[in-house]
Amino acid sequence: MSATATAPSPSFARRLSEFSDRRFKYLMIAPAIFIILLIGLFPLIYTLAVSVQNITMLEEDTSYHGLIHYGALFKDLRLWQAIGHTLLITAIALPAELLLGLLMALLFLERLPGRQIFVALLVLPTMIAPVVAGATWRLLFDNRYGPINQILGWFAGEPVPIVWTINPDFVYLGILLAEVWQWTPFMFLLLLAALSNVDQSLTEAAEIDGANGLTIFLRIMLPAIWPVMAIALLIRGLDLVRLFDVVWALTGGGPGTMTETISIYTYVQGFRQFETSYTAAIAFLVIVLLSVVVIAALRRMEITR
Amino acid sequence: MMTRLPASGSFGLRRRTWRLLARYVGALALTVIFLFPVYWLFMISFKTPEEIFHSPPVWYPAQLQFSNYAVLFKDGDVVTVWNSLFVAGCSTLIAMFLGTLCAYSLARFRTGGEHLAIWIISQRMIPPIAVVFPLFLLYVWLGWVDTYHGLILLYTAFNLPYVIWMMRGYIEDIPIDLEQSALVDGCTRWQVLLKVVFPMVRTGLFATAVFTFVFAWNDFIFALVMTRSNVTTYPVQVTHYFGGQSNFWAKIAAMSVLGTVPIFIAVAALQKYLVRGISLGAVKG
Amino acid sequence: MARLKVTGLHKFYGKFHAVRGVDLDIPEGEFTVLVGPSGCGKSTLLRTIAGLEEINEGSIEIDGETVNDMRPRDRNVAMVFQNYALYPYMTVFDNIAFGLRVRKTARPEIERSVTQAAEMLGITALLRRYPRELSGGQRQRVAIGRAIVRDARLFLFDEPLSNLDAQLRDEMRSEIKRLHQELGKTMIYVTHDQIEAMTLADRIVLLKDGVIEQQGAPLELFEHPATRFVAGFLGSPAMNFIPAVLAGGDGGGLALRFEDGRNLALPEGRCHPLAGHSGKPVVLGLRPEHMGLDRGGSVRPGLARLEVVIDLVQPTGSRVYGTFRLGGQAVVAELAVHDVERPGERLALLFDMNRAVVIDPETDRVLQDAIGVDVR
Repeated sequence: MSATATAPSPSFARRLSEFSDRRFKYLMIAPAIFIILLIGLFPLIYTLAVSVQNITMLEEDTSYHGLIHYGALFKDLRLWQAIGHTLLITAIALPAELLLGLLMALLFLERLPGRQIFVALLVLPTMIAPVVAGATWRLLFDNRYGPINQILGWFAGEPVPIVWTINPDFVYLGILLAEVWQWTPFMFLLLLAALSNVDQSLTEAAEIDGANGLTIFLRIMLPAIWPVMAIALLIRGLDLVRLFDVVWALTGGGPGTMTETISIYTYVQGFRQFETSYTAAIAFLVIVLLSVVVIAALRRMEITR
Repeated sequence: MMTRLPASGSFGLRRRTWRLLARYVGALALTVIFLFPVYWLFMISFKTPEEIFHSPPVWYPAQLQFSNYAVLFKDGDVVTVWNSLFVAGCSTLIAMFLGTLCAYSLARFRTGGEHLAIWIISQRMIPPIAVVFPLFLLYVWLGWVDTYHGLILLYTAFNLPYVIWMMRGYIEDIPIDLEQSALVDGCTRWQVLLKVVFPMVRTGLFATAVFTFVFAWNDFIFALVMTRSNVTTYPVQVTHYFGGQSNFWAKIAAMSVLGTVPIFIAVAALQKYLVRGISLGAVKG
Repeated sequence: MARLKVTGLHKFYGKFHAVRGVDLDIPEGEFTVLVGPSGCGKSTLLRTIAGLEEINEGSIEIDGETVNDMRPRDRNVAMVFQNYALYPYMTVFDNIAFGLRVRKTARPEIERSVTQAAEMLGITALLRRYPRELSGGQRQRVAIGRAIVRDARLFLFDEPLSNLDAQLRDEMRSEIKRLHQELGKTMIYVTHDQIEAMTLADRIVLLKDGVIEQQGAPLELFEHPATRFVAGFLGSPAMNFIPAVLAGGDGGGLALRFEDGRNLALPEGRCHPLAGHSGKPVVLGLRPEHMGLDRGGSVRPGLARLEVVIDLVQPTGSRVYGTFRLGGQAVVAELAVHDVERPGERLALLFDMNRAVVIDPETDRVLQDAIGVDVR
């Protein structure tokens, strides 16, 4: 702040208040940032440290072992399978939720009596604890006492004894059903709000220009809601990559290790096998990779904002 | 104002009534499909063991039994709901307080610029599994495993980024004129915060608090790792009922319902802020 | 080019009766301005013509074709919006070409039409840019370009200049007038600004509360208003309205007597038709420019003289507006630059009673028009 030749220099009182303003703003963020760092930074460092040691269930060897665990990561078939499982679920669930959510949003876009109530009811699956959602579907899928098989039996005309949580042919379908059921409303809600906020004069101008409904939707509305879709895809995508609760409740990662996700595998390694250092290596890798993706994505979005 | 989709038929009133009817049927069908699992869960909690383990399944119990709930109370399992309430509640209060202060600093002073803001929200997106492991080791060393304060601190830390991010948005939405006017009138920064800002964002505060509470309330993985028998929360308790041999279906259902109903009530009260809350403020529903 | 005919149009928004029985008959090539205060129904009327709103009663015919039930895209009309409504994710070229592309026009044809429209509006240099990079005036030109490129039969403008600053507005007004001269299309233009209405229109349709107060050529409405509302709406600064009583003047004629006892005599030619109203309260309507300083010399017939005290002086550079009190009202007179310098000055003013408008305060209709032409 430069003073002109004729202006008086800032008074002492003014400088004091600016100083306390500065103190104020840093004081306010201090406790929160401290706690976040504690939980955010510490694990990073500690994990890195542990991952280059060799702590297992049996040994407490804290000497430096270099990057052997990271090397082992690449050769770990089960880990790669877990990655494959996770990506499979993500690749199917994400587009499914987006598409269904979009269709539902379009259904509710125009005026509808009682829309508020419908929306409030439809959003409930998203608010349930994912573990509870998994548990619920496990009950639904029970091969003898659950209604799913019963309903299928009505259509097939004969009893359908699928053991959803164990049968390898159906176990992924089961997981996907539970997952899509729970999170489509999330997409639906976001897309509905975004579509509602599209400037009406744009669609009117397009109408007058001669475009039909489909053209207007594709070329005017979709581009307009793209920023929201991007955020929704980012949030859901990340949630899907770290999928744990629903799968844990539904199949426990089974049968065998067939439905293990990255998170489940990491949990098993750390808290069942107690392969501490190895788990640390996995954990560290996951943190770094996801952080990079997240920060890159956020930067791009902030820029376009 | 809602955007209208261009009418794909003529302006005929009759045509539009058909469309409305079709959409209504669709809406009803969707509601039934999406709520059916919830319905089933609730129903199991009210059934007798014979009705639960009945093939073909019973869709509506002869009588609404509350015995399953009574069992939970008798066995003391219901304390897990209380644990959840306590832990989620405390962590929410702390996170809201510290987070809003931080948010104000970010909003009005641009402390740390965009870099800090982005770093903060990225913390929200870190996968819990990667974080829980080293934290577990730390907690073991500190002796904080299976303690209330341990879990509360964890939830607070995990929810702070969300609170900061959302409250920053809400604070940025209110015009700065009022605060500047209060400063000119002689208020200190703290007075401006308490007397001017807080009242103006109180609905945002409320909405964010509820969402923060729900996130903590629904959490599973942190609770799973960090608690043993002292501080079990209700989601973990639900999974305890899945046995190797048989599952305590009634208990699963009853406990789940106990844990879910409060959330439903909160959401119903929160209608207006739903979209903004779950989209991290991306959409000002 | 098309003829527009609206008959008995009614439009309700729930209980609110936005348009009440409007009839319009607009010949080909005419520039019609729908003008009126906020909420008068002008935008609603325009939107029903476009097909963006449905009507409850009545009919709309374009070129003899009843279009009530037609979707906007089948009516072959073009519209320019107040907030431009440019597609933000398309270049200027694509924005203008959108309507043509939708109708599957051939590429070379599109190329030709768009460049032609761009040249006409002076935006050829902007064709590759995006709307967010343009200024308000440029965006408005693009919006107009999008409308004219389609060669529609009817052009609708919904307050297109309201979002522009004053200087730009003047510029664009001339552009639009020039455009109409060049293209010769039938144009319907909505605005709340009476200056735009006066300068652009071949015909003004003045609306109030969903009803047409009066329609006709601008000068017609200006010089021969049918109601107090019309008289007060057109002209800037607005016409003065002063309550008075029609009383017998000296020498057997009629005069307007104000509450403070002063009189303004009506010219001879006007007295006879008003005889029936003698003794009743009326409202005198007189425009500021129909008053002036008495510079001595002979007084033309029809001019009345009064001494007033100016209590407010507002110079505009080329003129001075002096406010004084008469009949309990603040009255504005338009004076020459040095006629009055300071508030408090006492002046003798001449009032051109040939141009005065006499209004019946009960019906708000004009009893007697300027130059003694009896209206109703």
